[in-house]
Amino acid sequence: MFVARVEADRVRSLTGVVFEPDPGLTVIIGPNGAGKTNLVEAIFFGLTSRSFRTSDRRDLIPFGSAYARCRVTVSGTGVDHMFMASASRSEGSRYTMDGAKIEQAEAAGHRPKVTVFSPDRLELIKGPPAGRRAHIDSFVAARWPGRAGLRSAFGRILAQRNALISRIAAGQADRSGLATWDSQFAEAAEALAGSREKAVAELGERWAAAADELGLEGPKSLTYRPGAATTSEEILKGLEEKLENDLRLGRSSWGPHHDEIRVELDGRQLRRFGSQGQQRLGLLALLFAERSALLETGGGAPLMLLDDVMSELDAHRRERLVERLLEGGQAVITAAEGELIPERGAILRVAIADLLEDSREVAG
Amino acid sequence: MSEGPAPLSRLTAELSQLPGIGRRTAQRLAFHILRSDESDARSLAEAIVEVKEKVGLCEVCFNLAEGPRCRICEDPSREVSLICVVEEPADVIPIERTHEYRGLYHVLGGALSPIDGIDAEDLRIAELRRRVEGGGILEVILATNPTTTGEATASHIADLIREQTQVTRLAAGLPVGADLEHADEVTLGRAMAGRSNV
Repeated sequence: MFVARVEADRVRSLTGVVFEPDPGLTVIIGPNGAGKTNLVEAIFFGLTSRSFRTSDRRDLIPFGSAYARCRVTVSGTGVDHMFMASASRSEGSRYTMDGAKIEQAEAAGHRPKVTVFSPDRLELIKGPPAGRRAHIDSFVAARWPGRAGLRSAFGRILAQRNALISRIAAGQADRSGLATWDSQFAEAAEALAGSREKAVAELGERWAAAADELGLEGPKSLTYRPGAATTSEEILKGLEEKLENDLRLGRSSWGPHHDEIRVELDGRQLRRFGSQGQQRLGLLALLFAERSALLETGGGAPLMLLDDVMSELDAHRRERLVERLLEGGQAVITAAEGELIPERGAILRVAIADLLEDSREVAG
Repeated sequence: MSEGPAPLSRLTAELSQLPGIGRRTAQRLAFHILRSDESDARSLAEAIVEVKEKVGLCEVCFNLAEGPRCRICEDPSREVSLICVVEEPADVIPIERTHEYRGLYHVLGGALSPIDGIDAEDLRIAELRRRVEGGGILEVILATNPTTTGEATASHIADLIREQTQVTRLAAGLPVGADLEHADEVTLGRAMAGRSNV
């Protein structure tokens, strides 16, 4: 599955921009502020009806316009599908496939999974563990689609147990009801923790290899640090031991909602002690590790959208990055200057200025 | 916008309390009732009063009943050693429609949900226990919904009565008559885990 055509009807600074990426690697070249990131965002928006830069889709509406809209055609499975996402101030948002309204879960089966690198996503490495848990869970869902519901199932049980704990603490309920929720909790926690453990085990070495290649020097590791035990018997035991503490806190203090996916360089946490450049490489390596895991297990490579990825890499690393991207799957990357991209015949080079020029002709 | 005569506003306000009825729809319904024949309006009002007066809960299974017991509990042809446990009276209807199940029911009146303040005492679980302890029950079928709260309720009840009788849970899996390729991965995963010998 690949993106064959993007029509950014109106997205931020883009009006009537039509873009046909290569099924392999496409580079969008142009100076800062020309609209490269907006084009990458438009692809993501058209495919998923979401943005990786904002949680409010209305931010995509151009100044002076009533709506934002993007269409993306997905090819490669014999039948082409056209996805359309729009956001409007007065009518909310719409997401359709071939003209009919579609839900996220259903759409996911008909479009490629999308992986984004952009400076806004550094939070994944720098930020608190919750972001990394969510990210690993989305990898779990891509790698083993049957496990896609584990995260939300655990979340619902956790919310119920927390509600019960705080009601017991307030004297509104008695402790007899806990056993049921504890056993549900333990079962869901075991399934979730087991999947995360397996996912990180698949990614660990691939991450280290990708990071080496990209120039993140020094001994390094990506490891799963469970916030609780990983078997349901032990989790159940832990819940009992920590009950008094939980009642005092008014919530569940132990479980996979305290898991950490730890990224270390030279024995120290990258999130705290890494430089901005090292964190960028750490994030990029993680995205590549996931891609190679999906490629090797026949899951289909994700579409990689890499915004402004070349600027901090030296010539040799840029070469390696491009070679990796040419190994399979579709990728769209942006660069300020064409010289930053190594010469390879298979690369489609597109100047953002030309895309904007064409759009003016169409509009005119 | 003017609210119109007071009785009309009152009717609109009452109707808008109903689930799924917004202010505008309530107003449309109110005008419709106002325009309709007096006999139609009276018949609707009487139906509402009658349903509250005459329909109560069965003293045995807590299904809807016109007298002290529901039609199912009073039916001598039903298998009295079987109890199917459901969350709401509405859940009895689809199971009855299958014409496959000939046992009795037990309606819990909801599912365990601490978030909504629903604990075991708020459901008719103690009553179910008494029925089972009364003897003669060969099997209890747990037919609560396959949701977080339904699963927790099923496991809670199973732990309570497992010693006294056989306890089973409805299977979860593929919808009949649908293609495998259209099944979602989570459902298919569960169907795979719960596969049976043929």
